Amino acid sequence: MSGAGIMLMADDLAQGSLCSTGPTSALIEQVQYTLGEGPCVDAHRQGRPVVEPDLAGTGAGRWAAFVEPVVAAGVGAVFGFPLRVGAVRLGALNLYRDSPGDLSDDQHADALVLADVAAEVILLLQARAPAGMLADELARSADLHVVVHQAAGMVAVQLGIGVTDALVRLRAHAFAYDRPLREVADDVVARRLRFDTLDDQDD
Amino acid sequence: MARETMLARALVELADNLVSDFDVTELLTVLTDRCVDVLDVSAAGIMLASPAGDLRVMASSSEEMRLLELFEVQSQEGPCLDCYNTGEAVVNVDLGDDPRWPQFAQRATAAGFRSVHALPMRLRGAVLGALNMFNVDTGQVRPADMAAAQALADVATIAIIQHRAAAEAKLLNEQLSGALNTRIVIEQAKGMIAQRHGVDMETAFTALRDHARAHNLRLADLARDVTDGRQDLATPGHP
Repeated sequence: MSGAGIMLMADDLAQGSLCSTGPTSALIEQVQYTLGEGPCVDAHRQGRPVVEPDLAGTGAGRWAAFVEPVVAAGVGAVFGFPLRVGAVRLGALNLYRDSPGDLSDDQHADALVLADVAAEVILLLQARAPAGMLADELARSADLHVVVHQAAGMVAVQLGIGVTDALVRLRAHAFAYDRPLREVADDVVARRLRFDTLDDQDD
Repeated sequence: MARETMLARALVELADNLVSDFDVTELLTVLTDRCVDVLDVSAAGIMLASPAGDLRVMASSSEEMRLLELFEVQSQEGPCLDCYNTGEAVVNVDLGDDPRWPQFAQRATAAGFRSVHALPMRLRGAVLGALNMFNVDTGQVRPADMAAAQALADVATIAIIQHRAAAEAKLLNEQLSGALNTRIVIEQAKGMIAQRHGVDMETAFTALRDHARAHNLRLADLARDVTDGRQDLATPGHP
């Protein structure tokens, strides 16, 4: 394997990154976070492992927008393993390799065990948290993309719309300009980008 | 079919049912049915202790009232209650020749049963309940058959433990999901206040927190009021 990461998800949406082994893993998660599609999203929603040994080949038909930026970053194969405890789903373990190729049976089995252990640990940590709060250990190590939600709040006021719609506008902008959602949000919060004057800027 | 083959099939069938999201009552009902098939007993049931400690019937090989009443009465006295209290198996009890449970024995005899057995459902130190079996004759059950019955009771125990662990995991996941959402709503509210009042995120958060304290509100509830447009914090804190 070339790298790994863990995505936390709730309500079928990516909510944050718990950890990643390097910039490429972080990119794989960030692209899924921006676009809402990819192996981890599928693994989480479908509750089963998702393997794509040939991302540039067969992968292209599977995820229309996810594949190009990730292949450009040198990823050959991606794998998503759901974090599950019984019927409960918490997110997904993401693995990638810089060359195409399937997982060996042993690797596949190891990944399943790793995902199970990760899911148990997340629940054990959360079990000790005060009611309504995220466990300290999770809050400290997880990147919950807070800036994206701050930006959604700002855009909501700029456009006089709800925060959910504002988040959609942010994602659409990131997609249209081929930028990470996180960067677009940074610009909004730093007041380098406003959505209510966007049309003027585009003209 | 040989008894060992039937037992093996029953165990495989039960293991197959132990997938995520299984229905525990259904599984336990299959188990009582297999007890009757495999072990040459006339009826079987599973009694579990409630959180308060009283025994309740969870599954039965038949829904006949005469049988259900026999489980019912054992919240007061009977082999299941003894088995649950001591953690020891109660086997080959001749109902016509045992003074321990007069009320239970009288009803069981009236229902046509002559002998009764109860096997503990144990996990390490704890006893969760008992597997109860009835026979219409007084013949002794072979030790090998009792071992097979205990194997079935052990599967039932695993099923119940898994079911409880899954329920606990579900609760924790709801808490985790709720906590994640709370974090998100607070960040969104910070963004709205920052935009509306032209302040930075830290000032926006201070304003939010101070308002919550001054009005004795939970931060999460206030943040949700802000994002839902019910509250705009007209006078934010100043840096």
